[in-house]
Amino acid sequence: MQTRIRRRHIMAAGAAAGGALMLPGKAPAAGGTKPLQGVTLNVSCWSAPYPLMLTKYIPEFEEQTGARVVYTTPSFPIYNQRMDIALATRSDAYDVINVTFIYIGRWVGAGWVVPLDPYFSNPKLTPAGWDASDFLPGTTTVFKNAKGELCAIPWIADIMMSAASRYDIMQKAGFGLPDTFAQMQKMLGAVNGKDGLPGFITENHYGWTFIGFLQGFGGNIFRNPPHDLMPVLDTPQAVEAADFFCNMLRSYGPKGVLSYTYDEVVAQLKQGSMIYTTENEDFVAQMAQPSSKVQKTCAFAMFPAGPAGRFPQIATHGWGIPIGSRKKDAAWQFIAWSMSKDLLLRMFRDDGWSSITRRSIIEMPEFRQKLTLNGYDVAKMYLDTIDLGAKGYMNYRIVPPYPQVDRQIDIAIGNITSGQKTAKAAMAEAQQNSISQLRRAGVKI
Amino acid sequence: MSTASTAAAAHSQATPQVRPRHRKIYWRRHAIHAAGAALLFLALLPVLWLVLMSFRPNADVLGAGLLFVPTLDNYRALGGGGFPDSFIHSLLASTGSTVLSLVIGVPAAYALARYRFRANKQIAMWILVTRMAPPIAFTIPFFLAFTWLGLMDTVSGLILIYLTFNLAMVVWTMKSFFDAVPRSLEEAAWIDGAGVWQAFVRVTLPLAAPGLAATGILCFILSWNDFFFALILTRTDAMTAPVAIVNFMQYAGWEWGKIAAAGVVVLLPVLVFTFFVRSYLVRGLMAGGVKE
Amino acid sequence: MTAATWSAEQRRAFTIGLAPALIVLAAVTLGPAIYLVATSLTPLTPLTPGSGLDFSTPLANYSQALFDSSFVHSVGLQLELSAITVGLQTLVGLGLALLLNIESRFMEAVRTGFLVPMVLPPIVVAIIWKVLYTPNISPLYAALGALGISAGSLVTDPTWALPALAVADTWEWFPFTLLMVLAALQMMPKEPLEAARIDGANAWQMFWYVRLPFIRPALTVAVLFRLIDSIKAFPLIYIITNGGPGQATEVTNYYAFIQTFNFAYWGYGSAIATMMVGGVFILSLIVARLGGTQAVGE
Repeated sequence: MQTRIRRRHIMAAGAAAGGALMLPGKAPAAGGTKPLQGVTLNVSCWSAPYPLMLTKYIPEFEEQTGARVVYTTPSFPIYNQRMDIALATRSDAYDVINVTFIYIGRWVGAGWVVPLDPYFSNPKLTPAGWDASDFLPGTTTVFKNAKGELCAIPWIADIMMSAASRYDIMQKAGFGLPDTFAQMQKMLGAVNGKDGLPGFITENHYGWTFIGFLQGFGGNIFRNPPHDLMPVLDTPQAVEAADFFCNMLRSYGPKGVLSYTYDEVVAQLKQGSMIYTTENEDFVAQMAQPSSKVQKTCAFAMFPAGPAGRFPQIATHGWGIPIGSRKKDAAWQFIAWSMSKDLLLRMFRDDGWSSITRRSIIEMPEFRQKLTLNGYDVAKMYLDTIDLGAKGYMNYRIVPPYPQVDRQIDIAIGNITSGQKTAKAAMAEAQQNSISQLRRAGVKI
Repeated sequence: MSTASTAAAAHSQATPQVRPRHRKIYWRRHAIHAAGAALLFLALLPVLWLVLMSFRPNADVLGAGLLFVPTLDNYRALGGGGFPDSFIHSLLASTGSTVLSLVIGVPAAYALARYRFRANKQIAMWILVTRMAPPIAFTIPFFLAFTWLGLMDTVSGLILIYLTFNLAMVVWTMKSFFDAVPRSLEEAAWIDGAGVWQAFVRVTLPLAAPGLAATGILCFILSWNDFFFALILTRTDAMTAPVAIVNFMQYAGWEWGKIAAAGVVVLLPVLVFTFFVRSYLVRGLMAGGVKE
Repeated sequence: MTAATWSAEQRRAFTIGLAPALIVLAAVTLGPAIYLVATSLTPLTPLTPGSGLDFSTPLANYSQALFDSSFVHSVGLQLELSAITVGLQTLVGLGLALLLNIESRFMEAVRTGFLVPMVLPPIVVAIIWKVLYTPNISPLYAALGALGISAGSLVTDPTWALPALAVADTWEWFPFTLLMVLAALQMMPKEPLEAARIDGANAWQMFWYVRLPFIRPALTVAVLFRLIDSIKAFPLIYIITNGGPGQATEVTNYYAFIQTFNFAYWGYGSAIATMMVGGVFILSLIVARLGGTQAVGE
């Protein structure tokens, strides 16, 4: 009895192994079984434009491989909360997940997503010519763990940009897109209220939108990440940056500016209800779409520079495989398919997906052309920003307890903008709380 | 004084002149009716606005005008994204938890009402204390237990955790209903040879049926409306309607028409239920706290 | 059958009836309660394996909380929110009940209508009030604008954010107090009212000396329940303010939520939850005592 069962098990295992031996994308071999027949993959990512765009291609993957994909795209905070808990408990509920940029330090650092290097040169699971080195170094370094292994494939390097929704108003007032913070202040002072519109808006995730200003004024979050994690949120430069940023929000932002989340910002920009913003390229690029009311009046430029330089923020998200997944090989095939040159090229051509992380596509003249939004060479801005990012000022993101500091910054900016605390007091409080949070999380400072 | 005039005196102010008084009462009564209706309308305005918004075309959704061409587009858009499934999960979880709470709780309430256990007061206090704990107190232990037992993201898991608030409520409210049923009827049945639970089913339950209905509805409503437990303990397989709305809010990119439509769809079952059992519900709420 | 055996059989029958509920309640509440207190003595976090068994500094979470200005601040906010919202709900519910206290079919219909805010899913209530409090889509702001009043956003104003949430909460729950008080008023015997009327009492005296003492137990229970529930307020804050502006609406329950689920400090979150239950328990005892002892122990 037992030998019979064992034999049946071996046969079943053999069939499964045989299935995995099939190269992805090829026609099924003799017998007609597809490589991932009967496999259900749980894939999840937050509701950014790219994952939503990917939805319509998934049936192709299912057709090719025979797998069934359960694809979920919750909102940003819900996705992160769910994933954090799922990963922390080594759950097998997900097979392919998005490694969110503010959680990179925690998820990659704690080993909750597996290294992907072994898959790159595995001919059984990765099609020839897939070329893992094609991804921009600026986008892959953050996903490397302490041993230098790559733990996620970046699907976006979203850059912070300067963009106008109503460039016509700015021009009428005699201004172009600001290149420095000082110009930005002058311009906003002149255009705010024209046509009854607020001058400036950005989303209330200040742990993300404020940092470009913080670093532009010469401040930083940690003294020298990722080694020296002593927060430096109360330096004079940090206070000056906070003062400036909150002044922009308070004086030139709409009523209730502190309540604007990323999608509300995008919706308002596309309606032409705000004049100017510093926001993700992924969001502001939507202004140039046919569905936008401001298709003809939008304008784009690199994030402005401060006295200490230009520090446009880069948000990298990537596809990873949780350590608890029981279908890692199948999960990799999904990642390999979604990040293949062919699919990315199609998404670029047919859907206008432009935050591409593959150098081979970016360097095509066609890319440059298409990423010309309303006449602006956004491709160049994109490449320039990625190059700037290689300098490493985004290292603060890969610190495991960053979410705690992220919230302290949200709170501080909220306090200053609403007048509850002065910039000095609020940043000092953020500093104190960050230190105690980091210590509680086990960081030695 | 005759009973008729006592009644009249009790009903109105004691005075020899009846007709002008009646007219004054008539107007007073209708003034109060009008005031009640007006206040009700004011109180329900926000809900009405939400319903209006759900029918607005998206281009005009921010408009404040009352004239617009209604459209069903927002409702049609609810078809995808797991929203219909979440509705079914909510239905299953709420019904299951109601049935389970009643099955377990009603006999216990009867026992507490009829038999003087030594620990009656302590039990009542314990029940109150379980309602005091914030949901967080339960979510982590349940989270870990569910992960270990494989109940994560299942409707059964939700049914189980809804017992934490429904069971106590069933016991408490049904006990007060049973207290109001005179013992004499059951005692008569006992004398006739019926067992305790036989008498319960044949005599007491029918008399307490309105209370049972009210309590059942309350259980259903409380389960349907739960947000926190579903948020933390479900993902996709068992996502309920309230969580689906929040998901939907950012999926739809602040398209208020769609969000309003989703909100209306989630509140409808509760409103329908409430309408059909309104008198029972009111009686049930009142019995929950009023003692003679 | 003798009296003794009948009594024994009765006892057995009732115990069997009560037992399942007690067992289930114990499983779903005592278990987590023990777990809660136990983990509150550890630095449990999923990021550090084995932290759940580290009882070396059992009171560390508690002392950390008491020295954490955010926590202390949150308790103050919680008390403020509870005071405002329970106070408003009581006043509105009581006032409306007194006004609408006549027996008629129309009133029954009106009563049912008032149930609506209370039975709506809290998340829908949160969405409704998010709309009402967002200046560029709110009909309230539009109406004010038409009257020439340009009002600022309340929920991003540090002074008005918490009261604004209290108003939304009151709208949601005043029907509870309304119904409880109405029920009590309608069960009131007519004789004391008659006697007072004959004695020439005015409306206020009627209320204060005759009606109020009678409805006091019901009012106490209503206040007690609303107080307990006000501590658990979550959807309104989650949807409308996210604890902001700054931390102006970060009440203790929300603070605990962030510490537990955003920062993964499970042990610390347990300690806060334990303290919350303790606090609510004490508050409830105080309210019950103030309201008259016959309201407690049912």
